[in-house]
Amino acid sequence: MIREEWRLHTQLFGGRRFGAFPLAVFGLAAVGLPLLSDLGVGRGTVVGGLHVLVAFLGLQVGTIGLVGRDAMRAVLGEMTLLVSSYRTLPISWRRLLATFVLKDLLYYTGLILGPLAIADAVRAIVVGTALSDVLLLWVTLAGAFTLGVTVSLAMVAVGTRSRLALLAVIGLFAVGVFGTDFDFLAYTPAAFYGAPSLLSGIRVAAPLVVSGVVAFALFEPIETGRRPATWVPALPVGHGVAGRTLREVARSGGSVWKVLFSLSVFGAVTGWLLVVVADAAGLEIAHGIAFGTLLGLGTFTTYAWVTQFDMPGEYHRYPLAPTRLLRGKLLAFLALAVPSGLIVLGAAALWFPAQDLLIGVLILPAVAVYVFGVSALLAGLSPTALLFDVARFALFGAATAAVAVPLVVLSLVAGRYPGIAPPLAIGIAALAGVVGVVIADRAGPRWLTRTRG
Amino acid sequence: MPAIETDGLTKRYGDLTALSDLSLSVERGSLFGLLGPNGSGKTTTIGLLTGQREPDAGSARVLGIDPVTNPLEVRGAVGILPEREDPPSFLTPREYLRFVGDVRDLDDIDDRIGEWAERLEFTAALDTVAADLSEGQRQRVMLAQAFVHDPELVFIDEPLVNLDPILQERVKEELRAYRAAGNTVFLSTHFVDVAADLCDRVGILDGGQLRSTRDATDLSNDALLDYFVETVDSGEVATVRGSTGSAVGTDGRPEDGSQAEATDS
Repeated sequence: MIREEWRLHTQLFGGRRFGAFPLAVFGLAAVGLPLLSDLGVGRGTVVGGLHVLVAFLGLQVGTIGLVGRDAMRAVLGEMTLLVSSYRTLPISWRRLLATFVLKDLLYYTGLILGPLAIADAVRAIVVGTALSDVLLLWVTLAGAFTLGVTVSLAMVAVGTRSRLALLAVIGLFAVGVFGTDFDFLAYTPAAFYGAPSLLSGIRVAAPLVVSGVVAFALFEPIETGRRPATWVPALPVGHGVAGRTLREVARSGGSVWKVLFSLSVFGAVTGWLLVVVADAAGLEIAHGIAFGTLLGLGTFTTYAWVTQFDMPGEYHRYPLAPTRLLRGKLLAFLALAVPSGLIVLGAAALWFPAQDLLIGVLILPAVAVYVFGVSALLAGLSPTALLFDVARFALFGAATAAVAVPLVVLSLVAGRYPGIAPPLAIGIAALAGVVGVVIADRAGPRWLTRTRG
Repeated sequence: MPAIETDGLTKRYGDLTALSDLSLSVERGSLFGLLGPNGSGKTTTIGLLTGQREPDAGSARVLGIDPVTNPLEVRGAVGILPEREDPPSFLTPREYLRFVGDVRDLDDIDDRIGEWAERLEFTAALDTVAADLSEGQRQRVMLAQAFVHDPELVFIDEPLVNLDPILQERVKEELRAYRAAGNTVFLSTHFVDVAADLCDRVGILDGGQLRSTRDATDLSNDALLDYFVETVDSGEVATVRGSTGSAVGTDGRPEDGSQAEATDS
């Protein structure tokens, strides 16, 4: 399976580009970790942030169970993975799934967390701190990734059996987090990093074991022809590209809630960052600008959902101009991303002043359009290319930073320049939105040339 | 003017030459079969003729349109049934065909959907999501999307795959009726019996090269099979350079008395 995974990625992104990905991770970490330290961000904050990011990556990797074979086929074309061989070989599905997950854990902890740990080890040697701290970080980050994967798989497993049960689990979790004093963070790998002990180890292992057991006991492969008839909600959304895309997202695993879920994670990370940064720097942050910007950036996950089910070759069969195709995709993208983002922004009003957040209503959609344009230009209808193709990943990072950095800086200095920063932020976001529309239009012919072969 | 005309059409994927120097002419109102073993270049040929792929050399005209410079115009004029492709999993056949109607700017798409669902017998499945349809039902929906806009020319790649024998006969009847109405069918298949049953002309493609073309109206299934095996085994290649662009037989002479100049290579 490891060989299969490697060939799959190298075929998708090109051997050298994919092979350079660990080097890119190393480079980013080697520059970023000392830079954060120089900027006065504490080690605890950096480590906490890394755990959140890695757990999020694990959640995303685990959602492969949400999309199933149909979406895999859309991305990779007609192909069969070893994990599907339970149908023809005397081997159980659960054993294959366990091997598949183990392979993913080895793969991601090696290719992404490995270079990160090496960069941190270099930093530790330079500043003269213990290497055992780096090893502990690598182990707990691997734990955070595993927790993300198993929680994600468990949620899919429960959801495919009963949507009501899944809602009940999420509801109980939300009540536990927001309605009680229960310390959930003590049960995360980050807590073990902060205070390693036997008791902490047992506490951290508990959610891993529970989610893992639930996932493997209840998970079933989504196979065409094996499942019961799918409920078909009638959506008054027209029958062009936008309508088709909205139907596909709404009817696939996780429905439109997966868009909200992805943006909620971004919202939570943004909120956490705002609290940490405000505390550390004593700044009066413009919450609306920060939330609008970071949630807008987070809509690249929505872009992935609206293109998840596309086989680019299919569109070459129709008299459909690529510009018209991408405008339809943009409509669907906005129909999903903007309401979801606004819900998260509204939820943020529970913790931050609603009046401060209002400006985010303007900034979020404009930044989202920009993200759409950049994603379409760099990745066409295959946004997974952004994840592992080093060159495109770097370009995407640079293009989004060009808009995000000025906006984030404005959010940090808005307290000092209240008359200038908000209108300037709106102006930058609006300009970014216009640029997004223009490059999305240009992306069409470029994508056509690339996929026409 | 022929429905399809190619001159030296060539397509390479890296070191692999998938199609080499294809020169071919398909008359309007005919049912032309491109016959060849797996991997012989049939699907690549359809991709090039419908503007889904760009050739490395050569030229083509489809209904008088250049598929390289005007791919959207070609795809607007023709219907395409791809090999091994299903309708989108999360759409019902009705929704998928309405999507096709939208991108093809058809005003009366609902009437057309009803008509084709009846002809291909999937009316009862019109509102079932495609992921829950049988393989045969999906293939019928794919056939409908190729014909729903009444094109003058259809490219169909293995049209009878996954259909039961009764429906295979129904589809064959539809194809014959479609051709009889003056339309053109470009059929790609590796099933000799399908070509023998349907086509009035066949071309044998092997290793990316057109070995020969010939009239097939008088050929039985066994005769076409013998011809196919002999042609592939002989390794001869027929190319055409001439004013009419008509195809030639394995002996290098034009079959239809045209002025085509043929060379074996």
